[in-house]
Amino acid sequence: MDSLQAEGITLSRESGPDELKGEVLTVNFGPHHPSTHGVLRLVVELDGELVVGVKPHIGYLHTGIEKQMEALRYQQAVVVTDRHDYLSPLFNNHAYALAVEKLMGVEVPPRAQALRIIMSELCRISSHLVWLGTSALELGAMSLLMYCFRDRDRVMDLNEEISGFRMHTSYIRPGGVMADATPRFWDLLARFLNDMPGNIDEFENLLTANPIWRARTIGVGRLSAEDALALGATGPMLRGSGVSWDLRRDLPYSGYEKYDFEVPISDQGDCYGRYLIRVAEMRQSLRIIGQAASSIPDGPCNIDDRKMLPPPREELETSMEAVIHHFKLFTEGYSPPPGDVYAAVESPRGESGCYLVSDGTHKPRRAKFRAASFVNLQALEKMALGGMVADLIAIIGTADTVLGDVDR
Amino acid sequence: MKTPRKAVAKGGERDERWIQVAPADLPTVLADLKQQGFASWCFLTCVDHLNTPLLLQPPERFELVYQLRNITSRELIRVRAYIAESEPSAPSVHSVYAPAAWDEREVFDLFGITFSSHPDLRRILLPPDWVGHPLRRDYPVGGEPVEFSDDHQSWQTAPAEA
Repeated sequence: MDSLQAEGITLSRESGPDELKGEVLTVNFGPHHPSTHGVLRLVVELDGELVVGVKPHIGYLHTGIEKQMEALRYQQAVVVTDRHDYLSPLFNNHAYALAVEKLMGVEVPPRAQALRIIMSELCRISSHLVWLGTSALELGAMSLLMYCFRDRDRVMDLNEEISGFRMHTSYIRPGGVMADATPRFWDLLARFLNDMPGNIDEFENLLTANPIWRARTIGVGRLSAEDALALGATGPMLRGSGVSWDLRRDLPYSGYEKYDFEVPISDQGDCYGRYLIRVAEMRQSLRIIGQAASSIPDGPCNIDDRKMLPPPREELETSMEAVIHHFKLFTEGYSPPPGDVYAAVESPRGESGCYLVSDGTHKPRRAKFRAASFVNLQALEKMALGGMVADLIAIIGTADTVLGDVDR
Repeated sequence: MKTPRKAVAKGGERDERWIQVAPADLPTVLADLKQQGFASWCFLTCVDHLNTPLLLQPPERFELVYQLRNITSRELIRVRAYIAESEPSAPSVHSVYAPAAWDEREVFDLFGITFSSHPDLRRILLPPDWVGHPLRRDYPVGGEPVEFSDDHQSWQTAPAEA
């Protein structure tokens, strides 16, 4: 705040003369409101301009994917997992694939792990770009959205090149990945890695020192470290409150321990801190992709297990056993031994996990997704109470909840 | 980790460690685990074991699963409690773990398990007038339910609301 005053900006968070206070007005906010990032509905209680109560009402995007998964075989259910956190589908795939592999007791080859990390980090960048563009738009910085979507489109092109799909790629699957990268993919990736640092500098030029952006975010939506932990917040919400916790570094999966990267934190606990963290995370993701792409090992990108993945097409012509495996996999699927497992990955929004219960049949008895947005959204009330109604927009923005993830 | 005294069974290794407790002991056991450093809440969910093909049958139809994390020692612990079908109810732990409030509402909404002393036990994902609890295994998946089938009563009859 002092730095703002030095720049000649004064902020008033007072709510007008005292005689106007005391009358609480209940306002319905959403679900169809452009700044709620989807279909979040809030019942907000206002005393003048001050927020004295926030009650989120969710469920408008509930699609029952957990019920659907009970009726799908393990290899079919991958396509459903893409669709809850629709801005970061690969992390849902990744958590699901890790859970199935844990149940089956298999580990994917090193090349598959490296490809998983490259595609996940690209997905993190694209998710953060959508967040950055839309949050800035809501606070009045309109041009940034175009730049962010321009760069996100290049991630989409990479997705398309490697898997044929632009958004819900289902690229990471139990047993490996969908396909190996093509030579054109590596060209596009090299160009992306070359251009992106400069583009992120450009975004920062537009926002980091921008007085309006700073006035709208510094000191807004504070969340202390104790509150963040008590409310179960994860991801940039937790790191923005000064708790250094990142599953990629602290409980590495898929070979993250091989790469050198930093986990950015901010002890401010406000919207500006969360903004800085996400921008820094994009730079760290580029670092990880660069290392993974340059050191990617040769070899297969799927496990060599005919009981879990179909045999190559050529083999079907000559081997009766391959035909039987092919037939069994596509009519019945595979059946993991009974048990339950939990696998979690660090998604752009925090801990995204998958809890799977197998009863020994070819369909999961129960599949539960631990959605980071669902838990993080509960911190909204803590952050918004006592602030101005306009700050609520900034707070919803930097909480970065995806409603598909909240409602599943 | 010190296993809480009230645990009736335990098992699993590393990330998959679990203990089983009686439903009535959940608040004290979870408070004990939180004291031990398992302060991070992952999730609470429920598993419906109706007609399970398992050789070793679970003791009751519903199983509540609490997953907790200790971010200092990087350990995970899963707490299970089996709930009888005749009386699907458990004590709420929202006063120990704040984020449990929404997870308990979700389990209530989708499984019809009530949580005593929960401050605001309403449906969370489905509309308030929805009939039935869709994640129960006897709730039909896909298509329109057949009104005159033998078992349509069983899934259409919701347990008593809290």
